[in-house]
Formats: sequence, C-alpha cells, structure tokens
Amino acid sequence: MTPPTTTAGGARPEVSYRAKDETGGLERVYVWDAVVRLTHWIIMLAILIQAVTGIYIGRPFFIPAGAEDQQFVMGTMKVVHSYTAIVFTLAVLVRVGWMFVGSYYARWHQFVPASARRRRDVWSMLKFYTFLSREPPLNVGHNPLAGLTYLLVFALYFTMIVTGLALYSVGAGVSYMKMWDFLLPILGGAQTARWIHHIAMWLLLGFFAHHIWSAILVSRSEGHGLIDSMFSGYKFLPRSWRKRDE
Amino acid sequence: MNVPTSDLCRELEARGVSRREFLGFCSAMAVMIGLPKSAAAAIADALENKPKPTLVWLEFQDCAGNTESFLRSSKPTAAEVVLDLLSIDYHETIMAAAGHRAEEALDSVVKNKQGQYIAVVEGSIPTGANGAYCTIGGKSALQIANEVCSNAAAVIAVGTCATFGGLPAASPNPTGALGVADAVPGIKTQINLSACPVNAENLTATVVYFLTYGRWPATDALNRPLFAYGKSIHDNCERRAHYDSGQYVEQWGDEAHRQGHCLYKMGCKGPVSFQNCPNVGWNDNTSWPIACGHGCIGCAEPDFWDKMTPFYAHLPGFPGFGKASNIDKVGFWGTVGVAAAFGTHTLIHLGKKLVGSGGEDKPADPTKGSEGGDA
Repeated sequence: MTPPTTTAGGARPEVSYRAKDETGGLERVYVWDAVVRLTHWIIMLAILIQAVTGIYIGRPFFIPAGAEDQQFVMGTMKVVHSYTAIVFTLAVLVRVGWMFVGSYYARWHQFVPASARRRRDVWSMLKFYTFLSREPPLNVGHNPLAGLTYLLVFALYFTMIVTGLALYSVGAGVSYMKMWDFLLPILGGAQTARWIHHIAMWLLLGFFAHHIWSAILVSRSEGHGLIDSMFSGYKFLPRSWRKRDE
Repeated sequence: MNVPTSDLCRELEARGVSRREFLGFCSAMAVMIGLPKSAAAAIADALENKPKPTLVWLEFQDCAGNTESFLRSSKPTAAEVVLDLLSIDYHETIMAAAGHRAEEALDSVVKNKQGQYIAVVEGSIPTGANGAYCTIGGKSALQIANEVCSNAAAVIAVGTCATFGGLPAASPNPTGALGVADAVPGIKTQINLSACPVNAENLTATVVYFLTYGRWPATDALNRPLFAYGKSIHDNCERRAHYDSGQYVEQWGDEAHRQGHCLYKMGCKGPVSFQNCPNVGWNDNTSWPIACGHGCIGCAEPDFWDKMTPFYAHLPGFPGFGKASNIDKVGFWGTVGVAAAFGTHTLIHLGKKLVGSGGEDKPADPTKGSEGGDA
C-alpha cells in the first residue's frame, strides 16, 4: 500500500526542514481515519473512567454513612469498572486489528520502526525532545518515537486486560469468566496480578500526562494541527511534501 | 436407649457418644460435603458397615498445629468418630509405641498393606543438605515420604506446609522445603487440604466422603476439595454487605471496626483466598478470623507468607522502597513527576523561545508551519 499523499513511508525529504516548508504553503491531508479517531477517544474515556473507579476499588476514598443496605458505592464502582473494561478491551482489539487492515497511517509500520529511516528518526526525535536538536524529524503520521511509545502503551493495555481478566476470574464463581483463572499461576497469584494491575495503571496515567504535554508541544512546534487532526482526521501539511512524492 | 447395632456404634457408645449424636454428625457431614440432609442415612450406613481403612499420619517440618487442630475438635468430636472409623497405625503424637517399635508399625503398614492405606502428611519436606534438616529414625523426611506416599492408595496433605511448602518454604526457604506433591512426584491420588492449620471439619468430611462413596471428592486446580475450597472467603463473608456498600474499617478500633464493617482497607485477603471458613468456622463454629475483627491472611493459598504479606496492607510493597511501601503512592508521585518534568520542559522551551526571539513569544504560524526549528 502506498501513502495517499506526501512522503511518510518513503524516503526522508532531502530538503532542509525550514526551506522546503516555505514553498507552496499548506494543504489539508486526511491522515487519521474514522476508526483511528473513534478508538482513540473511546480508549481515552475508558481509561479515565477505569482509573477513577479503579483507584476507588483499590483504595476506597469515599465512605458513605447510613445503613449498608441503602448504599452500593463499591458495588457500583465495580460494575462500572467491569463494563468499561469490556468497552476498553473491544476498542483495543479493534484498534490492533485495524493496524493490519486499516488505512495507511493506521498500520503497524507506523508503530514498529521497521525501516532504517524510521529507526534514525527515533533518535532525531529524542534529540529534539532533549534540546540537542532544533529540528523534529518530518513525518505525516506518527513520528517514529511516538509510534514506538504507543507500542509500549499497547503492551500496557494488554497487561491491563490480562491481569484484569485474571482478577475477575478470582470472583467469577461458576460463570464462564472462570476460564481465565489459568492466568493466575502464570501471573504469580492474584496478589501479584493485582500489583501489576496497579503499576500498569500508574504507567498509563504517567503516559497520559506525557501524551498531553508532548501533543501540545509538537503541535505548536510543527504547526501542522496535530491536536485538531485527532478530531477532524486532517493535518495541515506543506504542499511541497506531496510534490516531492510525485 | 438405642441398642448399638455395629462395632462402631458400640465403640462410640463406650466413649459416651450417643446414636443421636452420631446421626447428628452424619447430617452435619452431608451438609458440609454439599449433599441433601437425606444423604445422612447413606453416610451413617457406610460408616457403620464398611471395613476400617488403615491410615498413617506422617509429620515433617511444621508446628504440629494440624494435629492439634484435628485432635481438639469437639463433641461429638469429629476426631472421636474418625479415630474410631479409621485404624490409625502410625501417628507420632498420639501413638503409644515409641522408638523402633513405632517405626516397625509404619514399616509393616507399608509392606503388608501396600496400595490400601491412606497416608496423611503434615508439614513440608526439606530437600536441602540431602534432607538432613528433618530426619526420623535415621531416615530423612524425603526418604520416608517417598516410601510411604508412593505406596499409599491416596495421600492427604493437611495444612499449607504439606500442601504448598507453607512457612518453611517462605523466602528465602533455607531448608529447600517443598510440599508433598513437589517432593514426591507421581502420587496418583492426592487431596490437598491447605490452611494454617487445616480445619478439622474439612479433613473429617473428606475422609467421610471417601468412606461413603469409595472415591475422593471433586477438587479444584490445586487438588483441594471443591466443597471446602470452591468459594472465596469474600463471597461467603458475613461482612460482604459492608464491602459492596463501601463501608470500611480504616483504623483498628474505629467506629466502623466496632460496627463490624468490612476489613478490606485493613489488608483483608478474603477476596483472593478460598476456603469455607465463613460457613464452617473454627473451634466448632465458635468463630473465625473475620468474625473476630481481623482480616483474612490467605493462609490456604500457595506461598501465602510471601504473596499475601504485608498482612495489614491491600497490596505488596514496591521493590526497592521496602516491604511496607505502597505502590499507589509510588505510582502517584511517579505520575506527578512525569507531569512536572513535562511542565518544566515546556517552561524551558518557552524560556529559550523568549531569549531566542528577543522577547516575543509567538505561537507557530500555521500558514508557514515552520516553527519547529525554532524550539
């Protein structure tokens, strides 16, 4: 599959970052398809809901007064947590499947730095973040460092899903969800699984903080409408990028 | 008064256990195993009329707590009934013989009743130093276990030490202690009755089940009978309503503790522990830990001394931050740290821009899209 417009998967632009952008102004390029955008926001919302309910489940910070048969705070939190987990799991599975059948910028090669150019750009992006370079590498879709980071994030998603299923199976009784209890010995017992579940949540929340800041930073630096693109699907890219491909 | 109809009844009568009490025991056992009360008749019939199986009780590396638990069960004592049901040919704590005589008794069971006797094992089996940490009559625990368990019709591991290694196997496990199944591979029929100590009711019910039906009860993945280990402590807990409603003890002796609210925040491991304590209780159902206001420590689970600790915290600590550290605290400050790092990064970014552009902080010009290079 070839990129719909501009460079991205192809060779790195020869022209210097600043010079080539001067020519021709910007054009609207459709980068993120509907599935990418939809799963992005569903996963985000699911993580927020699960973090709030999950933190309550791990450390109930609100204790209602009154008779125990008049409240159902923990019960409600667990139900919301479990149902959101189903939505989250399905969204993650759809997104991972979409890595193989989706549009060009949704695909796996945007995450795995398989080409020499993308591997080089991982370092270029690191240099940019650490003030060692002034020029971020040019990419239409994910920059390779971001793509690599998202691979780790997907690994965290799967950690959450696997430990979550294992923990659910502990109290699943005779329901079919008991089938996941084979995961418990693999994970080192329910307490260890719970511990991993917590660690992975904090890593995800740490990523969340990082993600928002770097999105703002890169959006400002590139000026290509990175944040807007996750709503509209369109980035504003230099017209010259497409010309180089033609 | 009823006329005793069998040897068992006569023996029980001699010990002051009436037939009424015996039938009460049979009904209790039927309920324990999860059968309707009408099964009590089948149980009574089996106990009275079937030949007594031979049982040997091996004790290795443990505190004898399982023997204590078994012998101290009360009237009509499960132990009394079972002691009469079984021909206990070897049990170091309660047998009259001593020294070589005792060892001869064990040898003769292994030789003469090969494949017919039940071996109950209490305590873990040390494998370090060639088994020198636990020897009886000049033989190591491992040797004895190998001889006795591999010739038994069935092995019942009682207590967490015999089942999973228990306390002796806790990190760093200086004696190389193992549970029976790990120390003696290839045991065909093994029933695990974990807990610290074993609940005498569960041991009795397991034996009664075998005597009645001639087979062993259905077990879970860890070979523990489902009638006793099929449900978590949490699911049967009398304080469960407080858990679901969100009412928790937050400090020992606080108002919630006095009201009997849920001990989840005090580190109760009931949600990840499986046993029938809430239903059967201990000491003739006098009480059990959570009823006393203390959380479950998960004593019936594998590696509980390593995995369920700290007993008074919800989660294990964070490596490098100490056993009592809280991963949620570490994680919270880690997240705050990431946010702060990126905030600082932005401040540096803006600061450099201010210096670089002579005091003008201009956002990226979207018509040119070339701001990145100026970062």
